[in-house]
Amino acid sequence: MAEGGGGCCPPMDLFRSEPMQLVQLIIPIESAHLTVSYLGDLGLLQFKDLNSDKSPFQRTYATQIKRCGELARKLRFFKEQMSKAGFSPKTSSTRAEINLDDLEVKLGELESELVEMNANSEKLQRSYNELAEYKLVLQKAADFFHAAHSSALELQRESESREADDSLETPLLLDQEISTDPSKQVKLGYLTGLVPREKSMAFERILFRATRGNVFLKQATLENPVTDPISGEKVEKNVFLVFYSGEKAKNKILKICEAFGANRYPFTEDLGRQVQSINEVSARLSELKTTIDAGLLHRGNLLQTIGDQFERWNLVVRKEKSIYHTLNMLSLDVTKKCLVAEGWSPIFATKQIQDALERGAYDSNSQVGAIFQVLHTKESPPTYFRTNKFTTAFQEIVDAYGVAKYQEANPGVYTIVTFPFLFAVMFGDWGHGICLLLATLYFIIREKKLSSQKLGDITEMTFGGRYVILMMSIFSIYTGLIYNEFFSVPLELFGRSAYACRDLSCGDSTTMGLIKVRPTYPFGLDPVWHGTRSELPFLNSLKMKMSILIGVTQMNLGIVISYFNALYFKNSINVWFQFIPQLIFLNSLFGYLSVLIVMKWCTGSQADLYHVMIYMFLSPTDELGENQLFPGQKLVQLVLLFLALVAVPWMLIPKPFLLKKQHEARHQGESYALLETTEESLQVESANDSHGGHGEEFEFSEVFVHQLIHTIEFVLGAVSNTASYLRLWALSLAHSELSSVFYDKVLLLAWGFNNVFILIIGIVVFVFATVGVLLVMETLSAFLHALRLHWVEFQNKFYEGDGYKFQPFSFLVTEEEEE
Amino acid sequence: MGFLITTLIFAVVGIIASLLVRICCNRTPSTNLLHLTLVITAVVCCWMMWAIVYLAQMKPLIVPILSEGE
Repeated sequence: MAEGGGGCCPPMDLFRSEPMQLVQLIIPIESAHLTVSYLGDLGLLQFKDLNSDKSPFQRTYATQIKRCGELARKLRFFKEQMSKAGFSPKTSSTRAEINLDDLEVKLGELESELVEMNANSEKLQRSYNELAEYKLVLQKAADFFHAAHSSALELQRESESREADDSLETPLLLDQEISTDPSKQVKLGYLTGLVPREKSMAFERILFRATRGNVFLKQATLENPVTDPISGEKVEKNVFLVFYSGEKAKNKILKICEAFGANRYPFTEDLGRQVQSINEVSARLSELKTTIDAGLLHRGNLLQTIGDQFERWNLVVRKEKSIYHTLNMLSLDVTKKCLVAEGWSPIFATKQIQDALERGAYDSNSQVGAIFQVLHTKESPPTYFRTNKFTTAFQEIVDAYGVAKYQEANPGVYTIVTFPFLFAVMFGDWGHGICLLLATLYFIIREKKLSSQKLGDITEMTFGGRYVILMMSIFSIYTGLIYNEFFSVPLELFGRSAYACRDLSCGDSTTMGLIKVRPTYPFGLDPVWHGTRSELPFLNSLKMKMSILIGVTQMNLGIVISYFNALYFKNSINVWFQFIPQLIFLNSLFGYLSVLIVMKWCTGSQADLYHVMIYMFLSPTDELGENQLFPGQKLVQLVLLFLALVAVPWMLIPKPFLLKKQHEARHQGESYALLETTEESLQVESANDSHGGHGEEFEFSEVFVHQLIHTIEFVLGAVSNTASYLRLWALSLAHSELSSVFYDKVLLLAWGFNNVFILIIGIVVFVFATVGVLLVMETLSAFLHALRLHWVEFQNKFYEGDGYKFQPFSFLVTEEEEE
Repeated sequence: MGFLITTLIFAVVGIIASLLVRICCNRTPSTNLLHLTLVITAVVCCWMMWAIVYLAQMKPLIVPILSEGE
């Protein structure tokens, strides 16, 4: 390994975060806007807020931000109108610069035009709806009157005929009644209109009560819902016709109509005028219809033109807003002619930033250029990794735990391989691996198309991690080949099984078992194991040991990385009193266990490793007896035990004392320095202030307790972390058992019925179980366990993760932040 | 094929993969080092997995005992 960061090899990408610098820019006020916009295009400078004591309203560019907010509101209004009208904004490729002032005027005009148009069309629509209702009322009421009229005529005719037949028998009173009837009817008033259907019953009841039954109400239902002129919604309505007598009753009825939201319309009894008004209304309706259509067309055209430009405008407004937000973070020079900016930038970007400043000054015809200078600070810079689309997702896995301290060794480098590998150890099945691979290849091939469109939450997440899944599936195929499982079925891909029957009759193959007749199966697990009675004991033993070997290796890698950290930060205390005792402690216990495991496999010894490990602590001086794997084992164990015991105080005690000594030495030096020049010492002091922790106060007890906690954590962690790696065994076992259950109990069972129908059902159930349980749930759980192994077991050996992320001012981010 | 020969094959595959990565995506020295690290880590992981399974089957303490049904 050569990522020492210097020496023989170049520094490795991604292993350390980019070297950063704190820069100060002094920008003339007239070129500030353009310069900041260029810096936003570049996107490699994180501005520091120099006005954090000021509220948003007190800042220099508060009015401009308000303007941008207003423009954004107008744009939102347009968007709303467009989505109502069913237009979608087009993505325009042209990116011509638009002046904000012009845009403001234009948007203002468009908005007022649109608002007016909306108001007009609303008015028109309303009167159209009213007329439509009126027409319905006319039709229905005419029907009433017609029906009533004809029945009255019939009645009259009948009575007349009766009168003619037997005028003598007819009582005089009745005659009188009939004859007076028409004259009475003239005095009756009536009202016509529409009432919502769900209210019609109540309406009728209230009318009846209010007038004490002195009304005649007739209702007719309308088949189709009518658009209400006031609310503009489609409502089921009834046409009503009320007859009443007297002015008082009329007032009451009018009030009730109002309360029920019943629209009234005038109606004449006269047949000729009825026809006339119906014709009039129809004519006006068609007239209004054409007007409304013309208006709608016009509005559609307007929205279309807005839609063509919308994305561009939106982008401009958001850019402007972000520029002014950034400008608000700069502090105004005392002369009010310059803005002073401070910010972090990666050192490699120095040239680009200077270029942007120059261009900004030149393009805005500024007389003075901006000044660029590097500041020296003790403040910890932000962490910035230059990732690409492949490494981003892996880096995010690490960042989700904690952002690396500035220039700390990045576990992301190894995570790229070890994360998918550990996942695959738990997910070893090359059939399932191929399914995952196909799914993720779909995402990768359609990457360009999918990245531009909006996806659902879960799809988005899967899409973001497509390269992680790609690596996971490739490793799953590999480990699947090692485990020799293809949807839980073993295949003889790499030659014949090493095992065969003891004799020709194969009689004792179910009692004594088979015997190894050929050299070991060359690649992966022997296919003969599948379905045998001794499969589970064998796999358990194998996978458990595998977990420990893999775990110990990864933890050692973590400790070695901590060495590179100590080397990089020139912290020799950490090398001698942390790295070395940790390495010794872990390897004298679990490194030794790993060696024993391998040795046992190589020699075929019957030794009981549990026994060896336990009695190494309980009674180290006892004879090992039949558990001895190699000569001199007792002595080796005693030495290892001794080393492990020594390593604990070695970790615990010297470091705090050395830190104290270091601090005292530094403190002494400082007090001498005070006498030299006042200015420098002031700087040193302020630097120490910002440095915090180790600065002025050194609490020995605190440091000691901290070290104690660290030591205990490591010592106990060595045991518990190793045990934690056994999850590799558990999950891989669960995966293979589940998939074999689905295969045996669903697919083979269905096959056994010799029935096409049952077979189809079996296949469907098998597919759903495989996809749902094995591909989705198992992937998720194996992913989470791999995540834990990296975050806890691997990273706690070296990773501090207390940095903060570099968040440059960039238009790219602004564009992505849409809603 | 013995343990050593297959190990040798893994080593050869690792070297070939490193060279291929170097030839196919030759970028700055820093990036090349990252690629090399990734390839080596991946090959080591794969080799370890294979080696563990191979070693475990070399001198069997448990032999396959067929189920009654078969």
